[in-house]
Order: sequence, then C-alpha cells, then structure tokens
Amino acid sequence: MNYAGLVWANLGRNKLRSGLTFGAVSLAIMLVVFLLTMPAGLDALLNSIASNTRVSVHNKAGIVYSIPFAYVRKVRLVDGVAGAVGTTWFGGAYEEEGRVTFPNFAVEAEHVGLVYPDYGIAPNHLEDFRRYRDGAIVGRQTMRRYGWKVGDRITLKSTAWAVNLDLRIVGEIPIERSPVVWIQRDYLDEALIAQRGQGLGIVHVIWVRVADPNRVDEVMRTIDDMFRNSEAETASETEKSFFGSFFGSLKGFMTIVLLVTLLVAICVVVIAANTASMSIRERGSEIAVFKALGFPRRIVFAVLLAESAVLCTAAGLLGVGLAYGFTYALRTFAAVIPSLGPLGSFLITPSVALQGIFLSLFVGFVAGLVPAWGAARKPLVEALHEIF
Amino acid sequence: MLPISYSVKNLGSRPLRTGMTVTVVALVVVATSLFLGLISSLRRTLVSTGHPLNLVVMRKGSDNDGASALSQAAYQAIRFYDGIARNAADQPLVSPELVVQPFFWTREGGRENVLVRGVELVALEVHDQVRIVAGRMFVPSAGEAIVGKSLVGRYQGTSLGSELRFGRGTWKVVGVFEAAGSSFESEVWVDVRELANDAKRPLPYSGIRLRANSEADLWTLKERIEADPRYALQAERETDYYAKQAESANSLYVLVVAIAVFSGIGAGFGAANTMYAAVQSRVAEIGTLRALGFSKRAILAAFELEAFLVAVSGFCVGAVAAEVLATSVGQWLRGVAFGAATFTTNVVQLQITGRDLLVSFFLTTALGILAGLGPAVRAARLPPIEALRRG
Repeated sequence: MNYAGLVWANLGRNKLRSGLTFGAVSLAIMLVVFLLTMPAGLDALLNSIASNTRVSVHNKAGIVYSIPFAYVRKVRLVDGVAGAVGTTWFGGAYEEEGRVTFPNFAVEAEHVGLVYPDYGIAPNHLEDFRRYRDGAIVGRQTMRRYGWKVGDRITLKSTAWAVNLDLRIVGEIPIERSPVVWIQRDYLDEALIAQRGQGLGIVHVIWVRVADPNRVDEVMRTIDDMFRNSEAETASETEKSFFGSFFGSLKGFMTIVLLVTLLVAICVVVIAANTASMSIRERGSEIAVFKALGFPRRIVFAVLLAESAVLCTAAGLLGVGLAYGFTYALRTFAAVIPSLGPLGSFLITPSVALQGIFLSLFVGFVAGLVPAWGAARKPLVEALHEIF
Repeated sequence: MLPISYSVKNLGSRPLRTGMTVTVVALVVVATSLFLGLISSLRRTLVSTGHPLNLVVMRKGSDNDGASALSQAAYQAIRFYDGIARNAADQPLVSPELVVQPFFWTREGGRENVLVRGVELVALEVHDQVRIVAGRMFVPSAGEAIVGKSLVGRYQGTSLGSELRFGRGTWKVVGVFEAAGSSFESEVWVDVRELANDAKRPLPYSGIRLRANSEADLWTLKERIEADPRYALQAERETDYYAKQAESANSLYVLVVAIAVFSGIGAGFGAANTMYAAVQSRVAEIGTLRALGFSKRAILAAFELEAFLVAVSGFCVGAVAAEVLATSVGQWLRGVAFGAATFTTNVVQLQITGRDLLVSFFLTTALGILAGLGPAVRAARLPPIEALRRG
C-alpha cells in the first residue's frame, strides 16, 4: 500500500477546504517571512557594509559635533593605522528634489583608497578622483536610481554648507546597495573660501583602517587617549558598532514588528488546526473502517499527521515564493517612487526563507498532532459504534 | 425570515469551532490595530507639532532646521518686520533657535541622537503648545535645561532635578514640559547662547520661529523674508514644515496597508473554511428549513448574519487585546523610538485611537461578510429534497 498516495487522496477529498487552508497558510507564511526580513535585512545590511577593522573616530558628544581637520593627520601617525580619511557631511540634494536622498560626504581623494580597499573601486576610477577636483565617486545604488554613468555631470546643492557644486562622475563604488556619494574635500574647501573667506576646517568622522585585526582595540584606545582633554574629545568604535547604533533607534519599531509576526504565526496554527480537526472528525467512520481492516494505530496516526504537514509545508513553500515576489515588487517600485525608500532594501535571505519553510512544517505538525492522535487512539469499537 | 436567535444559537452549537474562528479574527484585529496605532501615533506626534500662525525661517535649501544656519544679522533684520505678533511687553514674538543632535544614553546603555533646542525665554510664547508641567523654566546662563515629557526616564539624567550630560557640558534639569503630544516632547531645551558655546557653532542660529499676527500677515512675511537678497532664506508655515517631516512615515503606511490586506485575506480563507464546514454539517437542517417554506434569501441572510456575528465577536476580543498589548508594550519600551528624516529620535507614545479601531472594524466585518458569502450562497442553493435525502 502506498501511503503517500493515501495522503494525497485524502487531501483531494475536500478540495475547497484544502484550497482554503492552503491559501490561508501560504499568505500567513508570506507575511511572517516578509516581516522577518526586516530585522534580518538590517543584520545582513550591517554585515555587508561594515567591517571590523575599519574604525570611526568622531566627537564624543555626537556625530553632528565636529572635530578639527588637523586631527586627521595626527591619527595617520598612530602606530597600526593603515589609512585614515576625514569625511565631512556635505548634505547635497540632487536637482529639484530639494532634500537629501543619498548620503554624500566630502573626503580626501588621495586617502579613500587606503581606507576602503574592500570596496573594490577600480584603480583608474580612484586615479581620476585624485586628478579631477570636481570628481565624484558614486555608489551603485544611487547610480542606478538616477540612471547616471561614469562621465556624467551633475550638480548637488548642499543643505549643510549653502554652496552648489558642479560635479563630474569619475567612478563607481561597485557595491549593489551602496548609496554613498563622495566628493573632493579640496573642491568644497575652495568653494567655501570663495564664498565666505573661510575653508571647511572640520571633519565629522575620521574613518581609519587598522591593518592588523588584533590591534583594533589598541589603536582605538591610543586615538581616544591622544585627544583626551582636548577641545574635541573623540570616541572611537568599529564600523559595525557605528552603523549598528543607527539601527538601534529602530529597535522599538522592530519589537512591534516581531510581535505582529508572532501573532500572525499563531493565527496560522489556529487556522490549520481548525481545518485538520474538521477533516478528521468528518472522516470518523472511514478511519474506523481503516482500523478494522487491521492498520495499526501508528500508521493511522502517521497518515493523518502527514496530511496536515504536507499541506502546510506546500503552502509554506508557496508563501516563501510569494514573499520573494512581494519584496521584488517593492524593490521595483521603490526604484521609481523614492518615498518608498527603505522598503526597497528588503531582501529575503536564504536563512529567513528556511525559517519560513520550517515554520510551516512546524505548523503542520502542531495543527495535525492533537486531532490525529485522538483519531488514532479512539478505541475501534467506539469508533465503529458511531457508524452503526 | 429566520429569527436572529437562529444564527446566534448556531454559533454556540459548535463552541470549539466558533472559538477558533473568533480567535483568528481577533488576532488579525490585534495585528492591524497595533500597526495602525503605531502609524497614527507617529503621524500625530509629528503632524500635531506647530502653530498655524508660526513661520519657520531657515537658510534656503535646508530641509530641516538641523541642517540650516543663519546669522545674527538676519535675525535682527527679521525681528522688526511688520506683521509679527507682540506680547504684553510689546516684544516681537520672534524666537531665534539653534538645534543640535548630541548623543544621549538610554538607561540600557544604548545611544540615540536627541534634538536639543537652544532658545530664548520668548520661545515659550512663540510655541504656546509648550507648557511646563513640573519644575520651572530654565534661567539663562545658569547651565539649566528643561526636558520634554517623552524623554523623562528614557535616558540617563533626563528626570527632574538630575544632572544631564550631553555635548561637552553638564546641565541641570529644572523643568519638564508637555507639548500636546507633539514632537517637541522629544526635545531638550536650553539657553541658546550656552548651547552655541557648547557646540562651537560658527553661526549662532539654525533658524527662527516667529508668530504672525494673522494668516494674511503670515504669507506677506513669508514673501518678504524669501525676497530679501541679503540673507537667502526660506520661510515655511510651521505646521506644513512638520507635516513634511511626517512624510518619512509614508513608506510605513504602504507597508501596513499591505500587511493588513494580506493577513485579512488569509484570515478570510480560514473563516470561510469554518463556515463551509458549518453548512456541510447542517445540510439536513437546511433542507428541513427549505421544506418548511423558508426562502433562499432567508437562509442566505441567516448564514451571512452568522459570519457577521463571528467577525464582530472577533473584533471585540481583538480590540480589547490590542489595547492591553499597546499599553503594556508602551510601558515596557517607554515609548517607541523612531528615527525621523532629521536624524533625530522621536519618542512616540504608542496609542491605538478610536479611528484605528474603526478601520480594523470595517476590515474585519467586510472580511466576515465576504468569507461567509460563499458558504451562505451554497446553503441557500441546496435543493430541499436532495438536502433532506443527504441528511
């Protein structure tokens, strides 16, 4: 006897019911998977952008508090530092959007290559960035969003410094989700001197690359000690912890998202359990006959349980697929409608997809367990009694 | 027509099945209400900030006052423009302000950017939403600060009487203020000169808030400020300014609607399932009713009513659970931090409003009626003779 065939036949018995359950479970799994991508997406994002050997040095009071530009040179001299670049928030807005839609910073062109070797920027792009004062290097995400390519000319209006800069794109940061735009510090400096007679003078964050991963803590300590009791005390932290704290302010929101996810998951269990118990109760007489024919309890139990597990897992697979489709659609829309912004960055990681599938399998088991056990355990005589 | 009590009694005939369906509906209600509540709390906090007769004056091109800067000269010039309201002492209601976003440390040791606003005493008159509810206003140049209600207890040193460290200095908290639930409640206010010193700002102010005499004056002032070639400024009605900041929540809106719709459809499948089963198990009964002369329409109505009742009970249970959950989550998290477009943390008090509940009510009842439709139609269409025989 082929038990798989039996399970399959049972599922087809009440097609409407199986279909409705299938639909409910797959939609719910889709939601759970989608909601789980938010925290998981942030983690993945953090791991993809942040490194443990790159260190941020910023004012202890906050990132909007500046540090004197002279500090950058001092940091470069610290033993163990492979490269350091001072970055200053430029806050440039593109065209008529009037607001900042991608992070953009003034950097020292000759030093970015030393600090960001992992970005994989083409050497000739870096070379051009050093060579052209009005050069700009643009992250791939922003390139795509505005349809820019290397060689294009753009104008950014700074919301932070009240200058407009005409730029030529000389290179790309070849990282899929990098929105960052770098411009030359000297170029901004000149524009500011022309306008107000005074250059930039400050940086917001000094990014430092430490050559030896084992010396990161030591280098951070040396830097902070160096500026203790100075006009701008510094606080150093790894890039991972720096970006992690940005996401920290989303923690409350994430808690609610996870709470809702949990509710949705419970919802699925209830729906599936309801269905399983209905379909088993309906087939009481049949199961009795089955047992009377001599099928042992464990087979009856397994067949009934498998029915619910198969249904839920299949629905889970569809749900994961739907979630893929949904995030794909969001990404597509977000590329066109900027106000959707962060929604476009949701990506379903394989681990979240697996979690979704396991969850659906689990739901199937939990839902089928009690009714299947009840049916298998019911004494034969009693079950037959109900028929006649 | 079948009596209403028929539908009500049917609900009780299979308590487990009804209970499960009600639970599913209730869970959907909790999920949607929580999300809707979060969004509307966020919008309320951001949008309800500002006075319709106030103007926000910033440097041209700035999208928020954290990114703006303007000079003492600009402030002195604007201060004496016509059309600005005056207080009892005949002082113009013009508030020069400086905002910075230093690190604050949460009690758990986390780090958040909180907006600190340097103001003069006149600010309390320009922002008349703001009321001191405990302690007193700070004394200028005394190293004192007042903190918004939402911050109290959330960060180290933000309660009345304690020492608050941010920027380069230490401040004494001498007052707590309320601002009608607006985002001012997520701010700390200190003396503008002290803050400028602390932040070492080259330009003293980031913006000016001023109160116009009337709506007409407001627009005239806006034109005059923006036309002045010396300073390159822009002016925006304060309420519009905050409404624009609130747009950062738009993407969340899209998300919530999508989640609500999908979970609604999912729960609808579940509910329809139960209803179909209910019809199936009562085939004989329906046949009898038809044989007794009840019309198709009466049967349809009775089953629809049943579905509706399930949805309404689910809603009631869910609404209560959502309120309880929102309150306890709010207590637990001490407000939900939300990083707005301006790089600062807004502490949003999670609250589910009547409107949020109304939206979930319509969603669930529509869901119940739709889910019941198929089974109800099937019940009504059963040929009486066959139904009797099958039973």
